[in-house]
Amino acid sequence: MKKTILTISFLLAIGLLSYGQASDQFVSNCVMSAGATAKYLKDFRIQLGKAVPQSELRYKANMSLWKNTKYRFTMCNTEESKGQLILNIKDESNKVVLSSFDQKTGKTYGYVDFICNKSGIYQLLFDFTNGQQGSGVGVVSMIK
Amino acid sequence: MKGRIFLLIITVFVCFSCGNSSNKKGEFVFPEADSVPSSEAEKLSPEAIADISRNISSPVEIANLLQLLEVPFSQNYLATSIDANKQSTNFDKALKMGILGADLGYLNMYEKTGSSLDVLSSIRKLADDIKVGQFFDFESIKRLSLNKSNLDSLLFISIDSYTKIDNYLRENDRGQLSALIIIGVWIEGQYLATQVVSQYPDTMLIDRIGEQKIILNDLLLLIRPYCNSGSEFTSICEDFQNLKDKYREIKITFTQGDPVSVEKDGGLVITQTEKSIVEMSDEQLKGIIEITKKIRNRLISNN
Repeated sequence: MKKTILTISFLLAIGLLSYGQASDQFVSNCVMSAGATAKYLKDFRIQLGKAVPQSELRYKANMSLWKNTKYRFTMCNTEESKGQLILNIKDESNKVVLSSFDQKTGKTYGYVDFICNKSGIYQLLFDFTNGQQGSGVGVVSMIK
Repeated sequence: MKGRIFLLIITVFVCFSCGNSSNKKGEFVFPEADSVPSSEAEKLSPEAIADISRNISSPVEIANLLQLLEVPFSQNYLATSIDANKQSTNFDKALKMGILGADLGYLNMYEKTGSSLDVLSSIRKLADDIKVGQFFDFESIKRLSLNKSNLDSLLFISIDSYTKIDNYLRENDRGQLSALIIIGVWIEGQYLATQVVSQYPDTMLIDRIGEQKIILNDLLLLIRPYCNSGSEFTSICEDFQNLKDKYREIKITFTQGDPVSVEKDGGLVITQTEKSIVEMSDEQLKGIIEITKKIRNRLISNN
C-alpha cells in the first residue's frame, strides 16, 4: 500500500514538474524571439476561451511605462490557438496609444516597439483575434 | 481495492503522459481554464496587488537608464553590508531579499558576474530561510552569470524567479513578506537613482526620480494593511509616508498628441508624441535624495 502511495505521489510530482517546464520553455522561447539586444522586463501569460467578439479586449493588466524608454512588446501564441494574440495599450485617460492589430487591414503584428515619452500607469489589454480561443504570452522587453 | 489503485495510477500516468507528449511538440500548457482577471473594482484583490507589483519601477529599468547615460558602474551603491546569516526575523529576510534583488539586477545589467555570485548566494540563503528557495533557479542564474553571452536569459530567469516567489507568498497568505520584497526592491532602485543623480545630475534621471510620485501611492497601499503588525512595519509605514510628503509639491504635467506609427522590418514602431513633464526644484530633489538615503541606510543597518 505504501509503495502504491509513493508511486502515485512520484507520478503526480513528475506531472506537475512537466506542466511548469512546458510553460516556462514556451515563455523562454518567446523572450528569446524578442531579439539579441532586447532586455526582458515582464511577461503576461494568457489563456482565453472562445467568446463573441467584443470591442474591448478581454485580458487586462496594469503596468508602469517610463519616458525615455523604448519598449518592445512581443506576442507569441501556441500552435493550437485558433486566433492570434493581439495587444492594445491604453493610457490613464483611456486613450489607445498602441495596437498590434490594424482593424482596417486586419493585419496583426508579432511585435510592436513603443517609444515612450509619457511616464505613467498603462493598461495592457490582450485577446485573440475575433475572440477566438487561444493561449500565449506577451513579453515586455527594453530595446536600444 | 488493488484494481482501483491500479486504475488510478493508469489514469494519472495517461493524463501526464499527454502533457509530456505535448511538451515534445513545444506546446503551451496552462493549469487554469481561463485567466481573465476579475473586476478591478475589488480594491486590493489579488489581481490589484499583482498589478501594483508590476507597476513598481524595475531596478533593471533604472540600470538601463544609467547605461544610456553612460554612468559607470560603482560597487559603492550596493548594499554590501547585508549579511544574510545575521537576519533574524522574516521581516528582515524578506526586506533584504528585495534589496539584494535590486542589486542583482544592477550587477546583471553591468555584467559584473564576480560580485553577482556573492549577492546570489545571500539571496539563496534568505530565500531558503523564508521557505521559497524552491522558486529561485540558482544554478541556472549562476551558470548564465558566469557565461556572459546571454544577458536576456539571465534577466528572464532572475526576474521570473522573483515573480514566482511573489505569487507563491501572496497565494499562501504571506502577503506581508511579498510586500516587503517589493518595498526592498523599490527603495534600493530609488537609492541607486538618487545616489547617481548627486554625481551625474542628468535631466532624464532627475525626471525618473520625480516620476516615482506616480507609484508611491501604490507602494503605500501595498504596505498599509500591515502598518499595525509590529514596530518594524510601523516604522516602514512612517518612512514611506514621510517620503510621500516630500513628493507632495512635485508636479507632473502632460502635453497632448497622437501616436505616430510606422512599419519597420515586419514589426510596428510607435512613437508617443505626448510628453510628461516633471516640475521639481533642486531643493525638492535634495530632500528626496536625503530621505531616500536615510530610509535605505536604516533598513540595511539592522544586521
